[in-house]
Amino acid sequence: MKKILSVSVVLLLAAAVVFAGGQGEKPAAKGKAETRIAAMATDVGGLGDKSFNDGAYAGLVMGKDLGFEARVIESNQQTDYIPNLTGLAEDGSDVVFAVGFLMEEAVKESAKMNPDTYFGGIDIGGDPDIPNFQGILYREEQSGFLAGIVAGLMTSKYADASPKLNPDPVVGVVLGMLVPPVERYEVGFIQGVKYVDPKVRVLSVTVGDFADQARGREAAVAMIEQGADIIFPAAGLTGLGSIQAARENGVLAIGVDVDQNNVAPDTVLTSAIKKIPESVYVVLESIVNGNFEGGTKVYGLAEDAAGLAPFHGFEGMVPQAVKDAVEKAKAGILSGDIKIATSRSEIKDLIDK
Amino acid sequence: MFDYDLIVNLLVAMIRNATPIALAAVGAVICERSGIVNIAMEGIMIVGAFVAAIVAGATGNPWIGLLAAIFFGGFFSLLHAFATVSLHLDHVVSGAVLNVLALGITAYLMILIVGHPGTTDSVPISLGAYRWAIPGLSRIPILGRMFFDQTPIVYFSFVLVAFFTWFLNRTKLGLHVRAAGEHPLALETIGVSVYKMRYFGVFVSGLVGGMAGAYLSIEGNVSFTEGMTGGRGFIAMAAMISGGWHPIGAFLAALFFGFADALQVRLQVFDTTNIPEELFIILPYVLTVVAVAGLVRRSRPPKAVGTDFMIERTDD
Repeated sequence: MKKILSVSVVLLLAAAVVFAGGQGEKPAAKGKAETRIAAMATDVGGLGDKSFNDGAYAGLVMGKDLGFEARVIESNQQTDYIPNLTGLAEDGSDVVFAVGFLMEEAVKESAKMNPDTYFGGIDIGGDPDIPNFQGILYREEQSGFLAGIVAGLMTSKYADASPKLNPDPVVGVVLGMLVPPVERYEVGFIQGVKYVDPKVRVLSVTVGDFADQARGREAAVAMIEQGADIIFPAAGLTGLGSIQAARENGVLAIGVDVDQNNVAPDTVLTSAIKKIPESVYVVLESIVNGNFEGGTKVYGLAEDAAGLAPFHGFEGMVPQAVKDAVEKAKAGILSGDIKIATSRSEIKDLIDK
Repeated sequence: MFDYDLIVNLLVAMIRNATPIALAAVGAVICERSGIVNIAMEGIMIVGAFVAAIVAGATGNPWIGLLAAIFFGGFFSLLHAFATVSLHLDHVVSGAVLNVLALGITAYLMILIVGHPGTTDSVPISLGAYRWAIPGLSRIPILGRMFFDQTPIVYFSFVLVAFFTWFLNRTKLGLHVRAAGEHPLALETIGVSVYKMRYFGVFVSGLVGGMAGAYLSIEGNVSFTEGMTGGRGFIAMAAMISGGWHPIGAFLAALFFGFADALQVRLQVFDTTNIPEELFIILPYVLTVVAVAGLVRRSRPPKAVGTDFMIERTDD
């Protein structure tokens, strides 16, 4: 009797391990010409990050009117990347997207192993030797720059516009991890702030995790204690903790990747966006039209894939001068008059932390 | 830079960071003192965090969320108790599987209940809104803000540390629990069921672990995020070991980690050099390893921890 019980418990525990290994997908149907399958594997942050992975998935869903069925697998740890990506390819997906810089090696490996499937990589550079893989990069530094302009002006010159701003010319950035897209946001932000007001100090804390709200909160609190009244979290889910900390301490925040105003409408001033859904849709379109290109495509202000989200409830609070400064900066970026560096090493003299 | 406000803020942040770890560590202490190795605190915490957020969101009442988290934490830990005590399975294996199960089941239930993965919506009221400053005591410089001007679960953690210290050392039941982990044969010989004591130990760690998880989702924050425990359950293990398997020791070790974490964030804020941030981020973990390595020689585990205790009946 005991033995039967032991065996059943062991089987139960074994089943738990299998069943706990991430979401299952619906049974695979080979992609026919009419319904194609557009699939993606998330990074370890998973869906529901309200930015990155959600944005890519939204793009797949948009592909419905092109005849694509969307499919997604969440990765629980980095060792899941290759199995997830190749699994999706072998199950008959027409195109498989990898989301995130951390998946670069995995998606290139999978693309090489599955030359008949198209692969796309968000925030991943392309490779001329892998024609079935398109790397999609963004000019986060441009969105960051515009966000920096707003932050730099609001924290100091126009601090009277809101009780949530204090006279200290200090703002803060919370980084999830120092990966290139995050670095571009931070570096663009610092340059934007210094462009409008070199006196403003930009504090910076890296958390080391894209899913740890508690640490995101602590990072924000530490900077708020030093007078920061605008917090810019470029940290995925970790950033949600930072936004909440900003809210509870009566200061403002700037969202990232998508319009995050709905996370805390009384706190999120604007968001530095990158239009991931639209860029994914462009790839799907190219597959339907038969002109998929390998290599790297870069999306920025010129492609209308970067910029700032609307001010929503803060529309009346933000002075016209700030809005004008943003428009002027956009024009400068598009014309090439304003050049924005993309890495910390290029702006060493601007960083004061 | 070293001004008064900074020091006080640092110490208050230490308490905030340490609370979930301290609770999990104290729970683990009780479990291991009864003889069952428990590496599943991470899993129990994530279950507690999930349940707290879901129930607090559904009922609008964070206290009910807290109670549910405690209950489900205990309930979840009974799996570990059943596997290790009744079925005599390996403690570490059972704990490891429970950790994986917890991650998976919270992710699965998240889709089922919330409709999408990732993060739940914010709870209507978090326990963080119930900050209570104890009149008089909260005015004491520094210590007042640290210990007497806090949120509910933080207060509970102080009380539980004291309670479990008293419980283990001054009550008969506590003695029996300790005996189950030191010399179970002697305990069984005097007629006290070792199985019952071990079930009790594991169950208590589940209850307390559930509360630790609830702190993460509905007191320190306002929503549940998949994976939000971030390894704190394992840090709690380290705290338990460095603390010599004693509730107060575990609490102090948790404070130490909380301090290191609060410190590294503030060091990053003030850092004007090009030191890679990864060095700051790993600082608390490195300090923990050093502490465990340094203290483990003086730290004595319960004699019979991890060993199976089986009663053989002649008529089976």
